[in-house]
Amino acid sequence: MGTVLFQNVSKTFPGVRSVRALDDVSLQIGEGDFVALLGPSGCGKSTLLNLLAGFDRLSDGALLFDGRPVTRPGPDRGVVFQEAALFPWLDVWNNVIFGPKVQGVPKSEYEPRARELLRLVGLDAFAEALPVQLSGGMRQRVGIARALVMNPRALLMDEPFGALDAQTRLSMQQLLLDVWETLGTTVLFVTHDIDEAILLSDRICVMSARPGRIVRTIPITLPRPRSIASLTSPAFVAYKADILAEMNVVHH
Amino acid sequence: MSVTMEPAAPTDTRAPAAPAYDAPSGTAGAASGRPRGATLRRPTRLAGRVLLGLALPVIVLAAWQLAGRGGSLFGGVLPTPDRVWAAWWTWAFGAQGLGLNPYSGTWLANVLYSAERVAKGFGCAILIGVPAGIAIGWNRIAAGALDPTVQILRPIPITAWLPFSIAVFGIGPGGAIFLIALGAFYPIVVNTSQGARDVDRMLIRAALMMGAGPFTILRRVVLPAALPSVFTGLRIGLGIGWTAVIVAEMVAVKSGLGYVLWDAYYVGRMDVVIADMITIGLLGFLSDRLVLAIEHWALAWRRLQSHHA
Repeated sequence: MGTVLFQNVSKTFPGVRSVRALDDVSLQIGEGDFVALLGPSGCGKSTLLNLLAGFDRLSDGALLFDGRPVTRPGPDRGVVFQEAALFPWLDVWNNVIFGPKVQGVPKSEYEPRARELLRLVGLDAFAEALPVQLSGGMRQRVGIARALVMNPRALLMDEPFGALDAQTRLSMQQLLLDVWETLGTTVLFVTHDIDEAILLSDRICVMSARPGRIVRTIPITLPRPRSIASLTSPAFVAYKADILAEMNVVHH
Repeated sequence: MSVTMEPAAPTDTRAPAAPAYDAPSGTAGAASGRPRGATLRRPTRLAGRVLLGLALPVIVLAAWQLAGRGGSLFGGVLPTPDRVWAAWWTWAFGAQGLGLNPYSGTWLANVLYSAERVAKGFGCAILIGVPAGIAIGWNRIAAGALDPTVQILRPIPITAWLPFSIAVFGIGPGGAIFLIALGAFYPIVVNTSQGARDVDRMLIRAALMMGAGPFTILRRVVLPAALPSVFTGLRIGLGIGWTAVIVAEMVAVKSGLGYVLWDAYYVGRMDVVIADMITIGLLGFLSDRLVLAIEHWALAWRRLQSHHA
């Protein structure tokens, strides 16, 4: 059973000049799949993610998560935002436990898990630091831990490493690969970085802009576990050439 | 193809130990990022600032003292600083109920009367203004229902409310507390609603994603995010509160610094009038410092932000 099902989904943002952000998009994501949405800015890939997160309502079509229509945001779909969106007045620990705490999960239940996740993202020594005292990459790791602590059925990541410098981005990609190998959560990953999409995902949905559509789906069969060393393998480069050609067609 | 994995609970993970991903950013890394030498420079800088700040008042006081003839200026209207000081001393520490000076020894009692009224009125303004501001800034229906009334009543100066206040509350502290609460309410509600309106939408989305309900979001996200604006409103409101208490006491209450101010003027005791004015100024300053100290404590996260951002 697929955990995510977009069926002929369209999204129009109303306004003086209404914008058709998504046009007749269909997409199925299976349990434990890692799917990347790849495309230029303005192609509606974040809109697609926001629909699944429950932040926006679809204009047309159907959207099911675990067989039920998506109507609102919820902890079963953990979101990692582009700029982390941590609460600046809470320290790392309190940012991470915010979800279970407001849901009324018993402390004895969430505390060990939160501690384990902080260790998993390498921030156990920074539990008392405020977000502003952290680097961009560390903030994003808090964002990942905060989403994972709720044990979500899916992880929705909206260009989470887009604002990071190249080196930090590489280490974050490695971290995400490690975490995903361990937890095996379903992931929808939005990016405009071709390398990132190939490295991380099982399947890439290439999107075009105005109106936003999925123009091609490319399965990535690189062996797992992967690491950033895969970036230079011949198979990787072949995928990249293929996608570059595709995106060139998309642009012209 | 798709890799199907057994989803495992995070607690069961045998994760790689302490991965060495990216390092913390320079000085911002640990919690203690105080620049070297700051402890050494700080006292001397503070002393310098105090000296610089004292220069102007000292010059004015000296000129005022030297310009006086026989203890006063302008033909006996304005007493010199030494007379004011003497008047304040008697007012503060003189024996009560003896002799011809009705103010003798009543300073502290009057300070407490006024301060208590400001505290009560200001407290009411916070209790009503902060929730109302959050509601106006957060909820469109609340904004539509409350904001027009607030905006129409706001231009009416608190002094214009005096007759109304006396008619309703009579002569007594009730009217003063009403005027203080009203005067302080406006800046608190306006600034709080502005702060609540400006909350980062992504923080709201993050809270929704984590399963927070509307009330939790108001209390745990909107309120802390709006707190810097709330404090701006509190400081402006407190200043208006002191204005209101003096106005009210001059006209409609038989005690407090405002009452003494007007009464002393009436009987020609300009030395007491000036001592009273300085007392009001000091109290306003100290109460503002108190709010500032609370702000400093409550918004520690923000202070770090402006340092490192």
